[in-house]
Amino acid sequence: MNDSMSIPHLIMSASTMVQLVMLILVIGSILSWVVIFQRTFVLRRARRAHQHFEERFWSGVDLNELYRETPSEQETQGAEHVFRAGFREFNRLVPKTKSPDAILDGVQRSMRVAWSREEDRLTLHLVFLATVASASPYIGLFGTVWGIMGSFQSLSMAQQATLATVAPWIAEALIATAMGLFAAIPAVIFYNRLSSESGRLLGKYEDFAEEFHSILHRNLQGRGEAVGA
Amino acid sequence: MARQQRGVGRRRRGAVGYGLPTLLAIGLHVLILVLSVISLPQRQPDDPETSSIVQATLVSTETATDQAQRAEEARSRAAERQAEEQAQQQQEEEAREQEEERARQAEEESQAREQAEREAVEEQERAAREEEARRLREAREAAEEEAQRRAEEAERQAQLRQEQEAERQRQQEAAAEAERQRQLEEQRRAEEEARRQQEAEEQRRREEEEARRQQEAEEQRRREEEEARRQQEAEEQRRREEEEARRQQEAEEQRRREEEEARRQQEAEEQRRREEEEARRQREAEEQRRREEEARRAAEAASQGLDRAIEGESDAVANARQAQEAANSFINLVRRAVEQAWVIPPGAGNDMAATVQVQLGPSGELFGATITQSSGDGSFDRSAVQAVEAAAPFSELRQLPAMAQRDFRQFNLRFTPGDVR
Repeated sequence: MNDSMSIPHLIMSASTMVQLVMLILVIGSILSWVVIFQRTFVLRRARRAHQHFEERFWSGVDLNELYRETPSEQETQGAEHVFRAGFREFNRLVPKTKSPDAILDGVQRSMRVAWSREEDRLTLHLVFLATVASASPYIGLFGTVWGIMGSFQSLSMAQQATLATVAPWIAEALIATAMGLFAAIPAVIFYNRLSSESGRLLGKYEDFAEEFHSILHRNLQGRGEAVGA
Repeated sequence: MARQQRGVGRRRRGAVGYGLPTLLAIGLHVLILVLSVISLPQRQPDDPETSSIVQATLVSTETATDQAQRAEEARSRAAERQAEEQAQQQQEEEAREQEEERARQAEEESQAREQAEREAVEEQERAAREEEARRLREAREAAEEEAQRRAEEAERQAQLRQEQEAERQRQQEAAAEAERQRQLEEQRRAEEEARRQQEAEEQRRREEEEARRQQEAEEQRRREEEEARRQQEAEEQRRREEEEARRQQEAEEQRRREEEEARRQQEAEEQRRREEEEARRQREAEEQRRREEEARRAAEAASQGLDRAIEGESDAVANARQAQEAANSFINLVRRAVEQAWVIPPGAGNDMAATVQVQLGPSGELFGATITQSSGDGSFDRSAVQAVEAAAPFSELRQLPAMAQRDFRQFNLRFTPGDVR
């Protein structure tokens, strides 16, 4: 009784369609957990890097020195990337034009591009997590419905409608739903958590971009007065 | 080139690879799988097997069984009882005869023993008297011999005295002393004789005491023998009683075996009869058609009247049998259904019993279940009533013949928890 109704035995004796559904759900669950772990590590590292960079930026260091110290643009991340993109554009535009508005427009544009790339980097694969979270219950439910269909078909074959003829089918069908929920619940929880954390980090980057933009604006105003004088 | 360098750079420093997360995710799933495989069988408790826990037995169906069957059973029981009583009477008479014979034998034995004892006592007395006489004679002979010896010695001493008279005259003082010595010796001899006579008397007394002791010992032996006889008789009585008990047990076992065989035969016959029922019904239907046709054909009816009457009687007998078999199968079905539905309360003891009167509607639905004989435990009674309510409706009632349906509208169920595991 226990042996024939154990979960591995039920899974092995399920129909092909239900087994396929279970396989899809297992793969989805594994991939969603890969994404969860990977995103968790990425976001933790990005948070620490941002904290470290902000301490250095607001420590009163010269911006040229900071720009020189930071590694090349391809390897920077987060606020550092935004800073490098903006400062490089500023340095390139200052000798070419004397209009502060044009300079600030170019700086803002380049910083927006950098911010957009950071957003793309932080929210990578989170869509997959959302897909698993929303779709796997339906996939599991499909397996359940298919299994119960099979159980009723076998019931129509049997002469006596006993619980023993229906029970294995319904049990294996319900295992499909359970696996769907098993894949969906962590995906939902970690999608919410990771998306909120990445959103908060992106907000910090935006704040930093605005602050850096205001610093450059102040410098340009001072230089414009000096030129005018 | 720049894009490629960028891509290389991202890969080189690109925050986190996918190797570690993949390993972690697969490890997590394997862990969950192992836990579910290992711990789930332990969590599942042993399913309580609901079958054959309960022994709900149908005690009385009041008007259920046919009167003919009852009468037959009563007759068979009465015949068995008469046979038992006759057997018991025969056994008792045999026992009485045996006891009387034993009593007679015991009396004869006791008389023989008393005679033997009397003879033995007389012989002993005679032997004792003869021995005493012999002793007296011997003592007298010994005394006479001693007297002769003394006389001879006295003559010798007298001769010596005559020879020594001269010396005595010379030595009168010594003679006087010798006379004194003689007197002393005579006194001693007289004392010795008195002692010997006393010793002889003491020997007689001792022998008499020994004879008495022997008699006492023999009496003790007789008493012991009598006690042994009484014990033997008591043991024999016990053996007789045990043998009677064994005979009764064997008789009961034989009755039980016969009853069981009868039951088995009945059950086997029930199955055969059920199979035959359908055939009979078909035959009956065909016979009815035939009868109708026969009624139309009046001319043929006259010639076949006798045959029809015989067939009708056999049909009636067959119908009665079918009703009995259907009733038995219905009882079994009801019993099984109620047993499966009965949840025994945990505190119920094995010796508790409750009788529930069940009233059924025409199609087997439950009209009422009331307790006619309470077990004393309210929860037990409630569980019995709930079992009947859960097992209802007994739709098998419809399959019974009309006569049996009426009889089974009301019956009693007796609830006793059997070997509850």
